[in-house]
Amino acid sequence: MNKIMLSCKKATELIEIKQDMKLGFLESLQLKLHLLVCKTCSCYEKHSNTINDALHKHLHKNSSIEKLVNNELKEKIKSKL
Amino acid sequence: MNVSEEKNKTVSDWVDTYSDELFSWAFHKTSSIEIAEDIVQDTFLSAFNSFEKFNQKSKPKTWLIAILNNKIIDYYRKKANAHSSLDQMTETQGNHITDSLFDENGRWKKSDTNPNWDSEKNLLDDKEFNTIMAFCMGDLPEKWKIAISSKYLFGKKADETCQELRLTTSNYWQIIHRAKLLLKVCIEKHWSK
Repeated sequence: MNKIMLSCKKATELIEIKQDMKLGFLESLQLKLHLLVCKTCSCYEKHSNTINDALHKHLHKNSSIEKLVNNELKEKIKSKL
Repeated sequence: MNVSEEKNKTVSDWVDTYSDELFSWAFHKTSSIEIAEDIVQDTFLSAFNSFEKFNQKSKPKTWLIAILNNKIIDYYRKKANAHSSLDQMTETQGNHITDSLFDENGRWKKSDTNPNWDSEKNLLDDKEFNTIMAFCMGDLPEKWKIAISSKYLFGKKADETCQELRLTTSNYWQIIHRAKLLLKVCIEKHWSK
C-alpha cells in the first residue's frame, strides 16, 4: 500500500472513529478516496451504522430495569470500612 | 479529624453518593442482584484499602468505576475458569478472528457487498435479527463488551471509557473497531435472510 491509499483495515478503523469525532484533514481525505474505490469498505460503513442502531436498541431495552441499592447495603459497607 | 478518620468519612460519603450508579452498572453486567451487591461492596472495600493511590485531582466516580470494571472482569474470569468453558471468547481469540479478515496488506480477504442489510428500518424491527444481535453481543470478550456498552448505552466519550478501563486511546479504538468487526462477522454468520 502506498502512503495515500489506506488499507481496508485502517479505513474501517477510521470509519469507527469518524462516528465519534472529526478526523484530521489528511485522514478524512484518505478515507474519502478509499471509500470511492472500495465497495467492501463502503458496505462496511453501512453495516457499521446498522449495528450502531441495533446496539442502541438492544442495550436500552435491557437497561430499563434500573435497580437501586437499599440502604441496608450502604450501611453494611460503611460498617466494614 | 486525623487522616484515618478523614479517609473513613470520604469513603462513607462515596458509598452514599455512588452506590446506586455502581450497583446499576454491576447489575446490568451480571444480571444478578446478589452478585452485583457483592461486587459493589468489594469495590468500596478495595477503594478504602488503596485510598492512598487515589489521585485527589481525578473524579472519585471515574476511579470507582475503574475498580468496579476490574471486579466485573475478575468475576467473569473466575466463572470461566470454574467451568473451564470455552464459550466466552478471550481477547486473543477475538484479535485472531478479526486479524484473519484481512490479508498481510490489510485488504479484505473476502469482498462483501451483501445487500441483505440494506433495508435498515425493517431490520431493526425484525425479531430474529435482534435475537442474533443479542447473542453476538453476549459472545464478545468481556472487556470489549464493557467498552461497547459504555459507548452505546451510556453514551460515554472515548476519553472517559479509557480512564475507566485503563486503556490508551489507540487501544480503545482498536477494541471498538475489533468489536464491531466481530459483531458484523457474527451477524452475517447467523443471519440468513
